[in-house]
Amino acid sequence: MKVIQARRERQDKISKLMGEYLLKGYKMLGECCELCGTILLQDKQQKNYCVSCQELDSDIDKDNPALNAQAALSQVRERQLAAQPPAPSQTHTLNGGPSTSQCSGSVPQPRPEHCEGAAAGLRGPLPAPAVPASAAPAPNKVLASTYPPTVPSGSLSSSSAQHSVLDDAQDAILTKLRWATSQLQSSASVEASIQLCSLIASCAQSLRSLKELNQ
Amino acid sequence: MSHVERPHLKHVLHTVSVLEAVVLRSFGPDGGQVLFTRDTGQVMLSRSGTRILTALRLEHPLARMVVECVWKHTAVTGDGSKNFILLLASLLRVIHTAACKRCNVSHTYSSREAMENATARHLADTLLAFGLEELGDVISTGVVPYGGVLSWEDPSAHAVPAHTNKDMHTLQKLLTAFFHTRLGHTYCDFFSRLTCEFLSCWKCEDKAPSYLLHLIDDNFSVLHTPVSGFPVSCSRVIEGQVIHRDFSTPFSWTNNQPVKAVVFSGHLHPDAHKAGAVLELRGGERGVLRYTSCTERSLECVITTLQSLGVSLLLCAVKQSEAVLALAGLSGMCVVDFLFHRYIHMSFHDSEIKPHSLVICGAGEGQTDQCACAFQDALRMLHTTWEPMHTTATTAAKSILHSGKSRSPSSKPPLQKNVLNPGCVVPVGGTFEFLLHHALLQHDTGIPALSRLLADALLCVPQQIYSHSPRRYLQTQTLVTNYIELRVGHCRKVDFKSDVFTLDSGVESVSCKYKLILAVLQCLSSLLRLDAVLHTHTPLHKQACRHSSSSLEDTEEGDED
Repeated sequence: MKVIQARRERQDKISKLMGEYLLKGYKMLGECCELCGTILLQDKQQKNYCVSCQELDSDIDKDNPALNAQAALSQVRERQLAAQPPAPSQTHTLNGGPSTSQCSGSVPQPRPEHCEGAAAGLRGPLPAPAVPASAAPAPNKVLASTYPPTVPSGSLSSSSAQHSVLDDAQDAILTKLRWATSQLQSSASVEASIQLCSLIASCAQSLRSLKELNQ
Repeated sequence: MSHVERPHLKHVLHTVSVLEAVVLRSFGPDGGQVLFTRDTGQVMLSRSGTRILTALRLEHPLARMVVECVWKHTAVTGDGSKNFILLLASLLRVIHTAACKRCNVSHTYSSREAMENATARHLADTLLAFGLEELGDVISTGVVPYGGVLSWEDPSAHAVPAHTNKDMHTLQKLLTAFFHTRLGHTYCDFFSRLTCEFLSCWKCEDKAPSYLLHLIDDNFSVLHTPVSGFPVSCSRVIEGQVIHRDFSTPFSWTNNQPVKAVVFSGHLHPDAHKAGAVLELRGGERGVLRYTSCTERSLECVITTLQSLGVSLLLCAVKQSEAVLALAGLSGMCVVDFLFHRYIHMSFHDSEIKPHSLVICGAGEGQTDQCACAFQDALRMLHTTWEPMHTTATTAAKSILHSGKSRSPSSKPPLQKNVLNPGCVVPVGGTFEFLLHHALLQHDTGIPALSRLLADALLCVPQQIYSHSPRRYLQTQTLVTNYIELRVGHCRKVDFKSDVFTLDSGVESVSCKYKLILAVLQCLSSLLRLDAVLHTHTPLHKQACRHSSSSLEDTEEGDED
């Protein structure tokens, strides 16, 4: 029933967006998108447009750390918060809230709005990072793949250091995976659920890649 | 190259949902207006669902089909275009939900999609049959008794307090509510009074209201004159007829005497010089000259005859030749033909019927056009309101819909007729939908689930009206329910008015609502009966694009498919 409701909400959103475009002068074509089956629109430049693929799905990408620097920095921050307290306290991060508030006063974290420069750097030549030093290396080292941002260090040359870095990365991803799973179970919003599922898929892909690197 | 597409229920629902999203923003008394602009600078301002939908650029065949249905419905009733889309979308949703539930139970069909389509088609056909056979009776017994009846006796009368006139309410309340949804709060009262004044000028004792309204609607294009550049409040009713033509010959009317006029629909002087004309000459070398003199003498004869009758004004539907204009001028007659530069105002004295004309003013062309369209739609809405409707189909119609099926023992006799009295109205604000919802749930029918489907779908209208205030939705629903229970409990002998039923805040026509539901059910059934959509690359027939004449689409795009 929840799935049906979620689908209906998504369809309502698509219909609303398409209605707005029609009032802006877009043309409703007699064809459907091959990927999602949504009715195609066409602008005055004769360019076809699928609301579902090109607009609605792109909303999910903003929470994908591989595609959005703000999401990446948020993930780094959460990882650092998880890494700061001792091991038993890491279990609290599964619930998200308490440990976050506990650690927010001890470690100065970059706010996402300070990371616009880093966000722009993902898509072009990297300018001088406009973030505080505590998170400065992170955006500069983000890989152009589905990997989440890894802990930057200058010791990548030694295999043991590389192994510890990969382990740390794996731990961070697993922590994030657990957190996303718990959030998904309690989530009541469709969009949040979709974003969490996407995050879980990204984490799984990242873990697979890390395991390949370990081999 | 052509390809075949099989429309699935969810595709139909998706298409209608998109159209619903377009009209929702203009729905209700607080709905917004849409301003369409062209590259040429031409603008169109409207809150009418029909005008908005026909102005969209739609190539999708299902969408065009739905818009065609809306256009045809509002061409008759003048109202209900946005309600049409809302109700259609709501019915598709409830049918989709019901079809999905049934598919979980049965596995008769090879594919789930085919099962859903078949279930939906069956439900739509059954709903249509219900609408044609039983819905009118449900409305007559479950809605009409809780409303009122409009009086046509004195259209120009001012509002009468409800407590002084229990069942008779003036025309203005109906028109005010209508114009409120079309022109906004500012001008609804003004246009309501203007319409009543206009109709009272045309009132004829021996003619039914529906005849008069039909006459005015048919000739509305010549009975009104749009004038841009003036405030809307300058609109008025003037005595006589305003002809949208100019004098082709000088006219002087100095002694204020009545003028005799003759109307010509064709040419007074045959024009033999047109391409393709065949001139047969007989008898002698002077054949051409003989023909010319003959035609001139016949024209002189016509003019002389008119002069002897005292005719001084010739009203011509086509452009006359120079010979006609010259002869008429020499004889002291004035000619009005095809020239279109100014307006001529004519009044008719000492006649049994005194025609009146309407001057509609607006700040710009868009606003003027909006007011004129709203006025004409109001006339159509009034015509539908006062048109008596027989609400039960005959046995012949039933046999078409239920061929091969046995009749249930609890069905009514085939020729039982109920008539929705002309002028039935109920308060605005979703009252009709709440009343009908309640009546359908109480209705004793062979298929309870069917009544439930329609009853649930109807609530979409008040839900949208009160979308910004769910509390008011519940309040209104509670008031209606309490009023029904109280009235039924007192056997309808108690005379009281709840806050909902004061009928002072505006009323709407029951006949219009009934016709709307029937039209929606018809459109629904037609949509779900589609088996295939053929995509071709041949140009559309021009007649299919006639409802797009007021749209802002490029004509080139309209010919492609």
